[in-house]
Amino acid sequence: MSQYVFQQLINGLSLGSLYALVAIGFSMIYGIVRLINFAHGDLVMIGAFSTLGFVAMGVPWPLILVFVLMIGALAGMTIEATIFRPMRGAQQVTGFIATLAVSIVIQNVGLMTLSGQPRNFSFPAFMRQRVQLGSVSASVTDLSIIGLTLLLIALLLVVVYRTRLGTAMRATADNLMAARLMGIAVNRTILFAFAIGSGLAAVAGLMWGGKFGQIDPLLGFAPGLKAFIACVIGGVGSIGGAMLGGYLLGLAEVLFVGLLPPAFSGYRDVFVFTMLIIILLLKPSGLFVRHVEERA
Amino acid sequence: MLEVRDLHVTRGATEVLKGISLEVLEGETAALIGANGAGKSTTLLTLSGLLRAKSGTVRFEGASGSIDLTKLAAERIVGEGLVQCPEGRQIFHSLSVEENLSMGGYLRRDRASLGSSIEEVHALFPILKERAKAAGGTLSGGEQMMLAIGRALLARPRLLLLDEPSLGLAPQMIERIFDVIETLKKRGTTILLVEQNAAMALDIADRAYVLENGRITLSGSGRELADNDRVRQAYLGIAS
Repeated sequence: MSQYVFQQLINGLSLGSLYALVAIGFSMIYGIVRLINFAHGDLVMIGAFSTLGFVAMGVPWPLILVFVLMIGALAGMTIEATIFRPMRGAQQVTGFIATLAVSIVIQNVGLMTLSGQPRNFSFPAFMRQRVQLGSVSASVTDLSIIGLTLLLIALLLVVVYRTRLGTAMRATADNLMAARLMGIAVNRTILFAFAIGSGLAAVAGLMWGGKFGQIDPLLGFAPGLKAFIACVIGGVGSIGGAMLGGYLLGLAEVLFVGLLPPAFSGYRDVFVFTMLIIILLLKPSGLFVRHVEERA
Repeated sequence: MLEVRDLHVTRGATEVLKGISLEVLEGETAALIGANGAGKSTTLLTLSGLLRAKSGTVRFEGASGSIDLTKLAAERIVGEGLVQCPEGRQIFHSLSVEENLSMGGYLRRDRASLGSSIEEVHALFPILKERAKAAGGTLSGGEQMMLAIGRALLARPRLLLLDEPSLGLAPQMIERIFDVIETLKKRGTTILLVEQNAAMALDIADRAYVLENGRITLSGSGRELADNDRVRQAYLGIAS
């Protein structure tokens, strides 16, 4: 494999990792409360700026990772408990509009307090080195993003499929009323889903900053939207679908640009959205979901 | 065990329960019969804390003594030992049979004896053991009903609420489910059974109530109601 193709592949996988991390949380939240959460991308921004803050304070990187995860989780839980929970009984569109409002509030508070000026963001020097793998090489940053993402996803799957709380969360997503009748405190499992999803998004923010080198208070918009698309591609509400959708989207974006003549590179989003439309026409419930259960 | 006094419940603008009173004694099987829309499910959902009463009291001899359920959170009510097997089964379709059962025991702290409780449920419904790994949604209607009952039993009910267990099942399966209810009754489980299938419900019930338009219009032993002319006409389809 030529270095060029390999580089594109690694690029696609690392971008896909970011999309997958954000998409998984998006999907978990939709799965449990049927809420299209457009504020989810802004947790990426919160994660990126928290990282910057911790770096300025001289916190070591492994601790920063843990702290950012916790800050994301706390932010997500706060939003859920104060804004989304009181709207639970309302129509779906009410919740949807509320998430847009939350997103605008977060972005504007960010602009006011942090200024709209992009800030430089850099990982430690060794992260910017390249590793030689036979005839090809890849950056430590990209490899770390891919590796850490896979590790986090593995941990998530263990929590969701092997623990009592994870099972209760799936039960709540499956049938809220039955979950309540079994004595599951559903507000707690919903809070838990928000904590996990938002924590993952914040970690994606840390990675986002390291990968692109600059952050600003509006950076959450793109990953939020892409996560939504990844979920739709994969099948909304399924963790595996969101993950695969994220990787597919990341790879598609990078490969469209990288493997086609440079004249087409400006059409990147056109290709991506055309792909989305075609997938939705052929498989409306997403690529990786066998059936969709309608729920009132 | 359970004493409902003057319970009023509104859903939206409609008053669905207009002051009902009923009681279930320990070890008894009580039946609540009535037509569609009479308020049967509303009654059970209020007992379980999923709907809130506008007024009235629900006194229950729970795990922590005699308490009023009308202000208690749904998960606390299950913890006190009032467990509902809801209408339409409502099993977790995407969870395995095994996981469905484990969710029944969600609040139990005695992890050790949970295993033997699951074995008891398996003994009652062997099919649930055979299909332990299958997704709940792949089960037939009758099997889903067994799973729903098994799941409720794992919560160790002091009082088991059964909402329309015969709904949508083949006659043979209804027979089977009522056999199980009979077994549970013999084991001393206190049961409140809501049914449209009045004949079978009255047959098994020690005590029965007729609910019409949100009011209890008749009550007595199962036998008395089964012999009552109005009940025979309206609910048992027997002309007098």
